[in-house]
Amino acid sequence: MKIENTRAQMRKGVLELCVLSIISEKEAYPSDIIGKLKESKLIVVEGTLYPLLNRLKNANLLHYTWKESNAGPPRKYYRITDEGKQFLDGLLDTWNELNHAVNQSTIKLTTNE
Amino acid sequence: MNEIRNVNLGGYPFTIDIDAHEQIKRYLKAIERRFADSDGCDEILDDIEARMAELFMEFLQGKGIISMKELDAVIKVMGRPEDFGAEPYDDEYEEEYQESRSSSFKDRYRHIKTGKRFFRDPEEKVIGGVCGGIAAYFGIENPMWIRLIFLALIFFAGIPILIYPILWAIVPEAKTAGDKLKMRGEPATVTNIARTVEEELNELSDKITEISKDLGSKKKSLDRDPFRREEPYRKGFL
Repeated sequence: MKIENTRAQMRKGVLELCVLSIISEKEAYPSDIIGKLKESKLIVVEGTLYPLLNRLKNANLLHYTWKESNAGPPRKYYRITDEGKQFLDGLLDTWNELNHAVNQSTIKLTTNE
Repeated sequence: MNEIRNVNLGGYPFTIDIDAHEQIKRYLKAIERRFADSDGCDEILDDIEARMAELFMEFLQGKGIISMKELDAVIKVMGRPEDFGAEPYDDEYEEEYQESRSSSFKDRYRHIKTGKRFFRDPEEKVIGGVCGGIAAYFGIENPMWIRLIFLALIFFAGIPILIYPILWAIVPEAKTAGDKLKMRGEPATVTNIARTVEEELNELSDKITEISKDLGSKKKSLDRDPFRREEPYRKGFL
């Protein structure tokens, strides 16, 4: 069993939560989003973000508007919908539960160190 | 020197060199195949194309032509098809894809994954190149091992003596540079083929110099021969 696979799975699981919460702060262009996700190693390459945004948009959690850019073609700016906000709240609840549960079950390991 | 083409990427015109153009087509095809079943396939592709166009503009700074260098840089940012969970795009020829589409999925998958085919290796042959081809297929450097196993099997079981001629007859010889790459399992991309052709040319020129050297030394020895016996006499006289 490769640890990289498990790590990737864990990151993948929280990706939607992070994308939604980044966009909920303020409307964002994919490149802005990717920058933040790269910092936290949640995503490594830009391309994988587009299918995710598309899925969230098709589920009515996001919507976008076209905006002119200084350099090059117009860009899609994403904004969270009301439905998206509810979804995000739901995810955040689960995350907090998980966070608590994980801390509880790994507490011995972390205090031993 | 390379041929160039004009393309429309994400609604913007670009001049692109032919190798980069072929590569970018394969790249987008691989991604398209990956998302063919999802709802927003066209939209995802449009987004990716638009972003690639933007990156190209950034990298080119308004000058010149998209070459493999810029394309590699853009793919590095966007991610390779494997990063999208797609099949790697290097491992196949377009025609091969068309060909394999008709065969079963399992076959196609296996074929694409290894990119290997069993050929007889004309460069490594003692009899028909069958052992050389087997060695190339399994990535064994020295085909002598396969030959030894073959011989050992002939002595102990005698079966390969029947198998060899059959393989010789039915397995095609790797004739083209593309065949040779497939035989070793390297993806048949433009660059790889170029490399193989280059290797062959070098080999050929080595052979030519060798032969000319050989001829030269033979000529010399022929020239010298008639006098050789006389030499001692001459020396004696002088």
